[in-house]
Amino acid sequence: MNKQRLFYRLFIGLFFASSVVFAQDEADLPGDPDNGKKLFNAQCGACHKLDKKMVGPALGGVADKYSMDWIIAWTQNNAELRASGDKDAIAIFEEYNGAIMPAFPNLSEQDIKDIVAYTIRGDKKKAPSGDGEEIAAAPAAGGDDGMNMWVILGLSIFLIVLIAILAKVKNTLKVIKGEPTSTLLEDASVFTKIAVRNQKVIAVATVVVAVFLLQQVYWGLMSVGVEEGYEPEQPIAFSHALHAGENQIDCQYCHYGAEKGKHSNIPSASLCMNCHTYIQEGPKYGEKEIDKIYAAVGFDRESNQYIDGYEVKPVKWVRIHNLPDLAYFSHAQHVNAGNIECQTCHGPVEEMEVLYQYSPLTMGWCINCHRESEVDVENNGYYEEMHGKLKEKHNTDKITVDMIGGLECGKCHY
Amino acid sequence: MASDKTYWKGIGELENPELAQKLQANEFPQDIPVDEFLTEQESNSTSTTRRDFLKFLGFSTAAATLAACEAPVVESIPYVVAPDKLVPGIASYYASTYDDGYDYASLLVKTREGRPIKVDVNPDADYKGDVNARVHASVLNLYDATRVQAPHKNGEETSWSTLDKDVVKALNNAQASGKRIVVLTSSVNSPSAKKAIQTLTDKYETASHVSVDAFSYSQALDASEAVFGTRRFPFFDLSKADRVVSIGADFLGQWIGQGVSKAYAERRKPGKDMSRHIQIEANMSLTGSNADVRYRVKPSEYGAVLAGIYNRVATAAGEPTINAPKSSIDSKLDDIAKDLIAKRGKSLVLCGTNDINNWMLSYAINELLGNFGTTISTTTFSNLRNGNDADFTQLLADMKGGKVGVLIMAQTNPVYNNAKGAEFAEALSKVDCTVACSDKQDETASKATYLCPTPHALESWGDSEPFDGHYSFMQPTIRPLFDTRQWQHCMLHWAGETTDYASFVKSNWTDWNMNVDKVLHDGYHTKSIEPTSDVTASAVDKLASVKVGKPSQGMEVVLYEKTGIGVGNLSNNPWLQELPDPISRVSWDNYITMSAVQANDMGLRNKTRSNGAIDGNYVTVVAGDVRIENVPVLIQPGQANDTIGLAVGYGRDGVGLAGDGVGVNAFPLSVNGAHNVADVKIETQDGWHPFACVQLHHTMMGRRIVQEVTLDTFLNEPATTENHRGWNERTQFETLGEKMTADKANLWTDFDHETGHFWNMSIDLNMCTGCGACVIACHAENNVPVVGKEEIRMSRDMHWLRIDRYYSSNMTKARAEEEGVGAIKMYAEMEVPSESPEVVFQPIMCQHCNHAPCETVCPVAATVHSAEGLNHMAYNRCIGTRYCANNCPYKVRRFNWFRYSENPEAFGVNYALNDDLGKMVLNPDVTVRARGVMEKCSFCIQRIQLGKLEAKKDGRKVNDGDVQTACMQACDTGAIQFGDVNDPESKVAELKKDKRMYHLLEDVGTKPSVFYQTKVRNKNA
Repeated sequence: MNKQRLFYRLFIGLFFASSVVFAQDEADLPGDPDNGKKLFNAQCGACHKLDKKMVGPALGGVADKYSMDWIIAWTQNNAELRASGDKDAIAIFEEYNGAIMPAFPNLSEQDIKDIVAYTIRGDKKKAPSGDGEEIAAAPAAGGDDGMNMWVILGLSIFLIVLIAILAKVKNTLKVIKGEPTSTLLEDASVFTKIAVRNQKVIAVATVVVAVFLLQQVYWGLMSVGVEEGYEPEQPIAFSHALHAGENQIDCQYCHYGAEKGKHSNIPSASLCMNCHTYIQEGPKYGEKEIDKIYAAVGFDRESNQYIDGYEVKPVKWVRIHNLPDLAYFSHAQHVNAGNIECQTCHGPVEEMEVLYQYSPLTMGWCINCHRESEVDVENNGYYEEMHGKLKEKHNTDKITVDMIGGLECGKCHY
Repeated sequence: MASDKTYWKGIGELENPELAQKLQANEFPQDIPVDEFLTEQESNSTSTTRRDFLKFLGFSTAAATLAACEAPVVESIPYVVAPDKLVPGIASYYASTYDDGYDYASLLVKTREGRPIKVDVNPDADYKGDVNARVHASVLNLYDATRVQAPHKNGEETSWSTLDKDVVKALNNAQASGKRIVVLTSSVNSPSAKKAIQTLTDKYETASHVSVDAFSYSQALDASEAVFGTRRFPFFDLSKADRVVSIGADFLGQWIGQGVSKAYAERRKPGKDMSRHIQIEANMSLTGSNADVRYRVKPSEYGAVLAGIYNRVATAAGEPTINAPKSSIDSKLDDIAKDLIAKRGKSLVLCGTNDINNWMLSYAINELLGNFGTTISTTTFSNLRNGNDADFTQLLADMKGGKVGVLIMAQTNPVYNNAKGAEFAEALSKVDCTVACSDKQDETASKATYLCPTPHALESWGDSEPFDGHYSFMQPTIRPLFDTRQWQHCMLHWAGETTDYASFVKSNWTDWNMNVDKVLHDGYHTKSIEPTSDVTASAVDKLASVKVGKPSQGMEVVLYEKTGIGVGNLSNNPWLQELPDPISRVSWDNYITMSAVQANDMGLRNKTRSNGAIDGNYVTVVAGDVRIENVPVLIQPGQANDTIGLAVGYGRDGVGLAGDGVGVNAFPLSVNGAHNVADVKIETQDGWHPFACVQLHHTMMGRRIVQEVTLDTFLNEPATTENHRGWNERTQFETLGEKMTADKANLWTDFDHETGHFWNMSIDLNMCTGCGACVIACHAENNVPVVGKEEIRMSRDMHWLRIDRYYSSNMTKARAEEEGVGAIKMYAEMEVPSESPEVVFQPIMCQHCNHAPCETVCPVAATVHSAEGLNHMAYNRCIGTRYCANNCPYKVRRFNWFRYSENPEAFGVNYALNDDLGKMVLNPDVTVRARGVMEKCSFCIQRIQLGKLEAKKDGRKVNDGDVQTACMQACDTGAIQFGDVNDPESKVAELKKDKRMYHLLEDVGTKPSVFYQTKVRNKNA
């Protein structure tokens, strides 16, 4: 995860660095509004909006009301500012009935300037759709298929045209030689007749066709129940790309069961509400999708309150990863004891706008990984005594999962 | 030249050519019994030919393949509001209590995603109660869909408000007219429940509380009152008893519910401190089969035996003797008395009947032996039994006389479990208003005007005080599944209280200086009680009123409680019904137990059918006015002559598919709460009764299956010697050149069991009492199916863990050698158990052989060995050849002959696998097996995996005790120990080095991971 995050951050950094270079019209702003937006979403979005009063005041136009120095002082440590007797600070504090805003010493002056730049500029009008397109192109599997089809179609047309041209050339030559010409269809039938009479050709063709059919059947059977790439439509258009990717929410914030037990749970709607009590609009669908969470738990957008006596309506997600009942799989064993990244099996979830099954989840796939994955015997007290014996027994420093019984039936089937 | 000879296939063709021709037309001369393997009704009625069948088969295979290509959409529905601390897939444990007025136990309840799926003993509780097979199985009764789901009036559903209004009106009417209001219950030990009843009886002047127990100890309690001044049983401390003499007390079974098996087993560790246990009884009981010495005596002789012991002890102590007739075992009593006197203050004489004279004598003996204050507490008394038959008799008379206005019945079922049940049922109609608080539309509830459905113990609030100062607490582990209300709540409600029972108990606990959160977390609370000093307990000076009658001459019937069914409270529990009786090994039945000699005299037989099943003759039991018809007879070694045994708790009606109509009701015989009735007559009847018995061989035939030595040998002789003459020698083989022991003679490449874990199990045959709790725990943990009576008869039982029982035989190899008996005659005689046999129990599960015969014969490698010493079974790989079962020398593999789950038409009796509600009890960590696959004990591999995972998560090694199999956890006495022998600090590693250790059938060379500890009997030297 860390490596990938690092890569991701670098990528994002470079992307924005380049965008600053080209964004000439934004030169008047106190900082970089794009970086500001990211910071705003991550740090301020829980309590503030640009245009609407939430827990805290709307921040749009904050630069017109206060000086930059004041904003920086307030943001980094508002309690200190209030203690120093700053009138504006005390007034704001009292206006919001003494609700305490946490200090943000982690934000540098430049960060705060970036955020202010964002509050001045606001959201770019075209930005959301552009982002959407970019992300929508990310699951490349569908795109690949489309591409192949076009290539094949193009080649076919090219071949047909080529055949037609050659036939024309042949007929032209024959006319020159004074021989009778033949149409394309007549040529074909003559060729077929010769081929049908030749037993060798038939034998070879039969073998080729049979092998092809058998292979198809074999592949067909082998893929029964393998749902790699399964990408069903979900009741809520939840984007992992936005939550895990852009907002960098840790996987296990929502799927908190993964490190503890067998299941990596689907989060309850109440967990969504931890953030979405405050984040009431999404960048792509606006209020539409978030309203579905509110409908589940019974939250009233207008009054910002839960509806009394509301009969909750569970969200019926479509399950993507379906292991058969006969296989026992424990997330904790892999995520916690084995220290495996979620992405190893689930793929680049942080890039998926719509979640799909990345791995085949077949037994062969499990077994292969067990053969290759090294067990971190050094840093786990469980293996302390076993460690030396295992090394000695297998005469290697690299202890893989199969060496500690990872290929045994009873590991997964009981 | 062509031959004109005619060939006949058989002589039949010549004699009856027409018939032969007709037969030729059919491929099979008889109809194929299709019904047996096609359980669907529709398929039975069709006439499918073989070709059609194959066509269908081909088509359906293709269709299924095509259908499988399209995966169905599976919905995943998370919580809307996730409960605090609940992580899906991780079990939560709650301390609670089981108490139904009969069984009491302090529990630890395992819940998964809010469903209780297993109950176990609360390991921290200072008094744990009797965590027997019934308590372990009780979790299944929670999911019984035949429980009453809504309040009823005159058999029709009604609302609680109507019911409340009617009952309160009736209560007021009764009070106004001066008629009695009676709350009738079984024993109540809960202080809060008592207080709730008190609230009602305080509110209405004419109200009173009567308690009556199903298997009564009323007279015994009267004896306690005379001796100790309190109508309660004292605490019997078996852990302090060097000598235990029990006269008819089945204290390892149910007895007075004190759950003494753990204390008993503590003193059964072989060594200088091992206790000696002498059992004098009529039926072969669980306790009797564990005794060092057992004497067979008719129950009418118990008085004479007790008086005989008393007189001998009194003479030694210089006290006056009493008049008493001689008993048939008088010659043995001198030794018994001498033995007891030698262990003054450290002995215990227990009494089992419901007879005041016997109990007075037993108390007097204990008093003279100085046991008061040592093995019998004079300060701590038990609240577990307090039924009073005299009160009940008075109530019945008042009911008949029309003097009762309102009768409220809770956790009791007198129409079924009282000898006067029929009378009581009739008298109910003379009561103005009858209210039954019950979980079933049972014998009594169906006759009451109002039926208040009560929740299961796992849905209830409450507390218990099994002994003075020892509290245990009950908390719900699931929200009530049906529209039920605790009967205690009804009491409060009808008394006009507005508080609910949950708040009521909590406020009580606060009043009693208990921290509500702490006691609910711990599940128990102990508080020191000042002993009441003015009570000077004495039985000896009250013996004047004791009369010892002469033994009767005729046949006597002795009623007993089976370990599985008890008094029948949990009858609709397929696990319990299928649990074989530990002694007779018969499931799904009660029957008359009779000695072989007696049966022979009366011309009664047990015959074995060609498929191995046992059938028995029917008889009618006549005792005075009571006639019980169609009772099958089972020949029981060890049964006293002129006695028959009959278990109560059967013959239920209205409890559900598993319980209804199984066996006969024996309670009508228990006149005045007696456990034994003299002068019964037995009339033979026609017909054969099918028994479902899981063990058809009764003796060990001279083999070393259960190894047994006397304490004397154990203490004074070596286990192994150089010349191979010790009492625990390994079997030797003659090989080329030298003799070799089984562990050395080895053709195999051994598995590496030095690296990592090596899971082993030790089973101490001295500690195992055969109670069967482990069998039920295994059922619950591993989703083991129930197959029903018919399948058991075909030896298709599915128990992963069974407890084999062996009787001793009069013929031994030594005796045959001495008397010059030939081998054929010797083996024939060995097959017959002796009339008064010694009994041994041996729990057997998969032995997890390290040279497993099953593994080598599996054609698809579905059963393979693991690096940790387990024998794995991959169900999805198994194709059902059953080669493995054939090759298993321990016969522990079980085959799924049918689809036992999701097949309610054929196996609906087992609602744990066939009913949507029942399935909630399944353990989600264990696969439900399909038809056609083999299964067996997995050493609870799911628990091993969990134990290892927890260790890895914490980055530590697996500690001893982290991994407990379900059977080990359920074993009250600690007979089963499981662990990693590669961990030198583990208990099991130590036990493997014990000199009593041996492997079962070691000479086969299977090198099992399960080993046994030799049984030691403390016989008179």
